[in-house]
Amino acid sequence: MRIPLNWLSEYVKLPKDRGELTDKLTMAGHMLDKADEVNGNIVIDLELRGNRADCYSILGIAREVSALFRIPVKYPAVHPKLKENKGSNTTLKIETPLVRRVMMVEINDIRITDSPDWLKEKLIAYGLESINNIVDLTNFVMLETGEPMHAFDLDKIGTGLEIRLARGGEKMTTFLNKTLVLTSEDLVWANKTDILSVAGAICGKNHSVSGETKNILLEAASYDRANIRKSIHNHNLFTDAGIRHEKDLDPNLVENAVYRFLYLVEKNNWGKINSSVYDYYPKLVKPLKISLIFERLIALSGFSVDKEEIKEILKWLNFEISKKDSQGMELIVPAYRTDVVLEEDVIEEVLRIQSYDKIPEQILSLEIPKLVTPSYINQELAYKAHLSAIGFDEAISSAFIKENYLKYNKPLGGVGMEPVRVENPPSPDAHELRINLFANLLEYTQKVINERGVEVLFFEIGKTYSKKESKYSESRKLGLIYWAKDENNFKKFKGFLDGFFAKANISQVRYVNLGRDLDLINSYQILIDKLPVGIGGQFGNIYYAEIDLDGVLGKEQKQVARLWPKYPPQIEDITLQFPSRTMIGDIINEMAKIKFISDIKLAETYKDSHTFRIWYQDPDKTLTDKEVEAVRNKILEVIKRKFGGTVKD
Amino acid sequence: MREDIINTKNQAFSEITEASDTAELENIRVTYLGRQGKINSLTKEIKNLNASEKGAAGKIINEAKETIEKLLATQKNKLKQTGSEWFDPTIPGEKPKAGQLHPTTIVINEMFEIFKHLGFSLMEGPEIETDVYNFEKLNLPKDHPARSLQDVLYIKEPDILLRSHTSSVETRALGELKPPFRIVVAGKCYRFESVNASNNAMFYQFQGVALQKGLSMADLKGTLYYFVKSFFGEKRKIRFRCKYYPEVEPGGGLDLDCPFCNQKGCSVCKGRGWLEMLGCGMIHPNILKNMGHNPKEISGFAFGMGLDRIVMDKFKIKDIRSLYNGDIIYK
Repeated sequence: MRIPLNWLSEYVKLPKDRGELTDKLTMAGHMLDKADEVNGNIVIDLELRGNRADCYSILGIAREVSALFRIPVKYPAVHPKLKENKGSNTTLKIETPLVRRVMMVEINDIRITDSPDWLKEKLIAYGLESINNIVDLTNFVMLETGEPMHAFDLDKIGTGLEIRLARGGEKMTTFLNKTLVLTSEDLVWANKTDILSVAGAICGKNHSVSGETKNILLEAASYDRANIRKSIHNHNLFTDAGIRHEKDLDPNLVENAVYRFLYLVEKNNWGKINSSVYDYYPKLVKPLKISLIFERLIALSGFSVDKEEIKEILKWLNFEISKKDSQGMELIVPAYRTDVVLEEDVIEEVLRIQSYDKIPEQILSLEIPKLVTPSYINQELAYKAHLSAIGFDEAISSAFIKENYLKYNKPLGGVGMEPVRVENPPSPDAHELRINLFANLLEYTQKVINERGVEVLFFEIGKTYSKKESKYSESRKLGLIYWAKDENNFKKFKGFLDGFFAKANISQVRYVNLGRDLDLINSYQILIDKLPVGIGGQFGNIYYAEIDLDGVLGKEQKQVARLWPKYPPQIEDITLQFPSRTMIGDIINEMAKIKFISDIKLAETYKDSHTFRIWYQDPDKTLTDKEVEAVRNKILEVIKRKFGGTVKD
Repeated sequence: MREDIINTKNQAFSEITEASDTAELENIRVTYLGRQGKINSLTKEIKNLNASEKGAAGKIINEAKETIEKLLATQKNKLKQTGSEWFDPTIPGEKPKAGQLHPTTIVINEMFEIFKHLGFSLMEGPEIETDVYNFEKLNLPKDHPARSLQDVLYIKEPDILLRSHTSSVETRALGELKPPFRIVVAGKCYRFESVNASNNAMFYQFQGVALQKGLSMADLKGTLYYFVKSFFGEKRKIRFRCKYYPEVEPGGGLDLDCPFCNQKGCSVCKGRGWLEMLGCGMIHPNILKNMGHNPKEISGFAFGMGLDRIVMDKFKIKDIRSLYNGDIIYK
């Protein structure tokens, strides 16, 4: 809120140093946003937080300054109270519980003029236009007290005045010439035929004060803030009145504002005030009582605050002490402080007026709690390290799929799953959540290819989102994508997968041909312990695999250190021939089961002949030629029996 | 003659052993063994000798020649071994591909490390959330003024949404973990934003929660100062002030001096000289009650901050969109 300092200084003496003033206000919860000058007067703009309805006023800020600097507030003069006009209650019909209080008073023989300079200057410094003396005065009192008010033209409001919920589809044209189509949730002032205003937010064009106005009906009210809030958001009515009424305003303010307005009308001789006021106030709001226990204040703040100091702070904040003993005290909260409802709120009051600078910085000295990091988080951190170690760059992509990649947003290997969509997308590119990590990684890869990159090695660890029937679920996935300009082949990509699984200490990984899965050709399923944990395949000349992290979690083996064997291996190459379409991985797995074979590598492939390099080794002794021969014979026997393989002559 | 030969050999010996590079050795070789070299000129003189002397001189010359050749070779190898050979260290290497982590991960990992020192565990939670965990139990009941009406992305209005902050993990932790506990969360959050250089519908938040008998504002302040000084550096100025958030009471805000203008005021800090870094406070008693804890018996603190701006500042990225759209080059 913009606070012209010379206006503020009418209610409280300000410290000479403006920096000291704004620093203290900032520390106490009202951050200085910026300061500027209007016609030579300094205006500070404070960032107010929504809980402090009382601070959206010059007087509210004056009270804060008063509490911070211990300087009393000079409250402005008000008109003596008028008698309540019970008899004319019929003039305003209120049946909804959404109205907490309404005060109205008639003022006759209104003299509409330009505003005097003192009034104009204040409004202009705040940022409002000057219209005429009466409209300006309603704004002035609103800014001064925080209570919005409105002046109707008494001769135009007609009969059957009431405050009610609008009927859906009813229309009102605002004084800014904008037509609103109202809903049955909007609270309105209406007469028999027309809507006069949207309560608490904006008035209509035809029933308010104008240059010709002779008599006015002044109203100030308090409503259910949640209702007002909905209306101002729905119709985009963030007016000065609206932003105040959507907060928790004290209904007692209504009275302050009305009598302040009347005082100024009388003082300036702008009209004849009716002898009675209308006051609808069905449920009197009484000040709240809160107990403050000193021990609790010390425990929550973490340092000892002097009891006398606490009392002094609260006194300057207008809290009344209704009871006290050595343990604590009972406080009566000033009615305008609608934000203070709990003991913790009072504790904050003490701390913020003292300044948070007084709070010591204490390094957590309590017992160190147990580590409860779930294993899946450690898994993700470890995998990120493994994958970067084998040369993959980490991508973090949006959880949404861009419109032109949506065609790839299909579940990999998932049955009956569909993508999750946002009901209120801010843009077509933030509409559908990813159901795989492929679509975004494909986009990134194609970007690199277009930028004339020579190689792509991306991984992403993140969630995919899916819907099955009406259940939503999230799965943690690892996506790996590979492309190279030269030497681009599946063997290379497979090597990276092997490298990753080796780093992750996961063995017994099997690959089973799938044929085709969605957009991927040459696709395969990745299995661990016979359970599927991922899917891979080829998109053009781009290789992709997606692994389910929960499927892999817990499958890693304990890391065991291995030492060089004391006895040397015998190494030999054997070239074998197999019927076409024999899976080489299966052969190697089968051979690896044979005793005294410590390692096998595929050294060379030519048509149907494959040369395997075989390490024969016994950890306990050097194998004799005879023993090696026995192992070799075993290999040939197994190969022949299981795969129909023969030695190439 | 014999003396000449021996002198020549000795001279060559001393020159060779003193040579400091191969170019010098080559010069020496030419001087002694070249076509116009000293050895050749001595050989030419043999014809002037007596027949009886010729044979002996030839033998000595051959010996001298072999000795010099050997010396040259030995010295050449010696020079190679001591590395005095001319060598170009500026030649481009053949770099193995080393993978890089995403800037956001780097920042998260760094923050995790700091909080681990203070006994914090790491935590996560669902991104597709319910209104209950995202708002209701967080002291943000329907119609609460701090609940922004339009900025939530709904999967199924009004109950299922994309979490709008990591505080939803706080609610879950308060319900599921047994105190005492300390956790930090880093994760994706979503809001209704029209995308531009500084706003994105998806963004990252970093959140911390601690629940333990005896925790106070002083513990919160100490924890945050430890973190800020470790992460941003000892020299940064910190402003720790009162600030309202519905999830905490008392509530606080932590600002850092603007490094772009040395607090003189610039467009980054909007002329304030300070950058708002995080929101924090003691967990609101209503939240503790909602999650089954007695606020008179146990207390806790919570803090949260946006990560993307921190990542962007650290890595000099100007447009938030380039963080998560594949624009980053890894080299």
